[in-house]
Amino acid sequence: MKKIVVRTCKWIGLPGATIIISCVALTWLIGCATNKQSGEVAAGTTVKSGAQLWAENCVRCHNIRSPGSLSPAQWDVAMMHMRVRANLTPEEHKKILEFLKSGS
Amino acid sequence: MIRAIPIIANQTAAAAFVALVCSFSPAAAMGQDTALSPPSSDYVSRAEYDKLKSEHEAMKQELDALKAAIQKMTAGGALAPAPGKTISEGKQVVAPAPTEAATEELRQEVQTLKMQVKETFPGTTKFLLGGYGTAGFTARSGEDPFFDAAFNAIFLFKMTDRLFFEGELEFEFEDNETTTNLEIAQISYLLNDYMTIGVGRFLNPTNFFVERQHMNWVNKLPDKPLAVYDGLLPESEMGGQLRGVIPIGPTKLEYAAFVANAPGLITESDDFSEIGTLDFDNDANTGGHVAVGGHLGFIPIPQIEIGYGIQRSKVGPRDQAVTAILQSADFNYVQDSTLFKGLINFRAQWVWSHVGDFVYDPNGEQGFGPLEFNNNRNGGYAQLSYRPTHIDNDYIKNFESVFRYDRFNQLHTPVGFDEQRWTIGLNYWVTPSAVLKLAYEFDDKNGGARDQDAFLMQAAVGF
Repeated sequence: MKKIVVRTCKWIGLPGATIIISCVALTWLIGCATNKQSGEVAAGTTVKSGAQLWAENCVRCHNIRSPGSLSPAQWDVAMMHMRVRANLTPEEHKKILEFLKSGS
Repeated sequence: MIRAIPIIANQTAAAAFVALVCSFSPAAAMGQDTALSPPSSDYVSRAEYDKLKSEHEAMKQELDALKAAIQKMTAGGALAPAPGKTISEGKQVVAPAPTEAATEELRQEVQTLKMQVKETFPGTTKFLLGGYGTAGFTARSGEDPFFDAAFNAIFLFKMTDRLFFEGELEFEFEDNETTTNLEIAQISYLLNDYMTIGVGRFLNPTNFFVERQHMNWVNKLPDKPLAVYDGLLPESEMGGQLRGVIPIGPTKLEYAAFVANAPGLITESDDFSEIGTLDFDNDANTGGHVAVGGHLGFIPIPQIEIGYGIQRSKVGPRDQAVTAILQSADFNYVQDSTLFKGLINFRAQWVWSHVGDFVYDPNGEQGFGPLEFNNNRNGGYAQLSYRPTHIDNDYIKNFESVFRYDRFNQLHTPVGFDEQRWTIGLNYWVTPSAVLKLAYEFDDKNGGARDQDAFLMQAAVGF
């Protein structure tokens, strides 16, 4: 087991970095090519409401917090923080933010 | 007959007067033959004529005054005749529109209110102060029991829709003094919808627990799992990262890649168990190495998230550097189940640390060398929790039971023992971000080390 781990570690060093860099480059190209604006729904994405996305995404890490716990302006900041930390897509970010603002 | 003067007028009284005159015209013609005939009721007397004339003049003056008044009001905008309506129709015209002066007054009031609202903001930057606070008690066998407290302040600034700053300070009371740690100081910029660049000090993206679960109001138990936290992986990195998400149909692929200061290699220490381990607080970047790493996460359905992270760097003195590879695999399952009437939460993470062969204490100055070894350690945890959120009872639905198994394998290192723990816990959620935790930990160490069971209590609030 130990040998397998050591060999795996040695093997994955450069290829692992290559995979990560490739994914980043691919994402960059996708982002530039589509030039999507925040809020557009990506092709093939199931259309979900802001409330659904709020329940699905937030509870993955912590208890969902009431929309009334922050003001609309505060949700604006908190959701940008969550967009970066929890890797929310633009449409998830937009819909959840709209839902939270409407209920705050 | 001469007195019977036809008067042509364009007003009501004048028209009546004309009609009156015309109606008497045949009699007037006949009257020319009898010039001295006495006046009869069919003729308009001088007095009647003068009276009618004076009434006509008075009406004319009233009409002129009315016209002047209407013109004045129209010019002021207070009253405006409706299209197609004339004054002669004798109808009162009331305009519903406000005057220009009133509109201007309203505009000024709105402007004043806007200024008053803006004055309540500290600036155009949007700011949010959040964080969490903790109070706890620990009674571990073989140690003195103690209370502890900590406060983490999180500062969030949104400068623009793309530029963001996040800072976190931790204030902790340890060894009779308050310590302050800079946990996060990161400037983030959204390059596009799917890519964000961040520079500064940020939470380690390869470590799922650290990035998403370590906050005390989020973590289900009073303490943190072995190996994963304060163990084999750094909690934060100093450098830069690129991160984002790629939606693939209904699934999502998360990614993060970073470069940062490399950890240091501990080659000298009074505590022999530390020899060969990594120093993650290597902010001065002793050795001048760079760590490269990243994390990939896949979310096939909203309830499941699977991830893998790796960090690779050289560590140790520049001329004797060895390779250090840190890896982490994580699995998360969160389901709000109607079948089990509650929220099921299962998390697992395993980490590996490899440090290449290095000769420690080559001159024997520390009393144990020369000693050459590689340092391979691993460990992780699995945790299951359940909260009956669908039960009608308001108190029972706030309770949450937790079970965790965590393990740290380092028998064949200077540490010299493996450790495993079984922890059971019961939480009560006062609010979604305020929790009281009770837990008991069964500890088991091999290699001759003493087991240390523990009773833990903690109150945590997030805000």
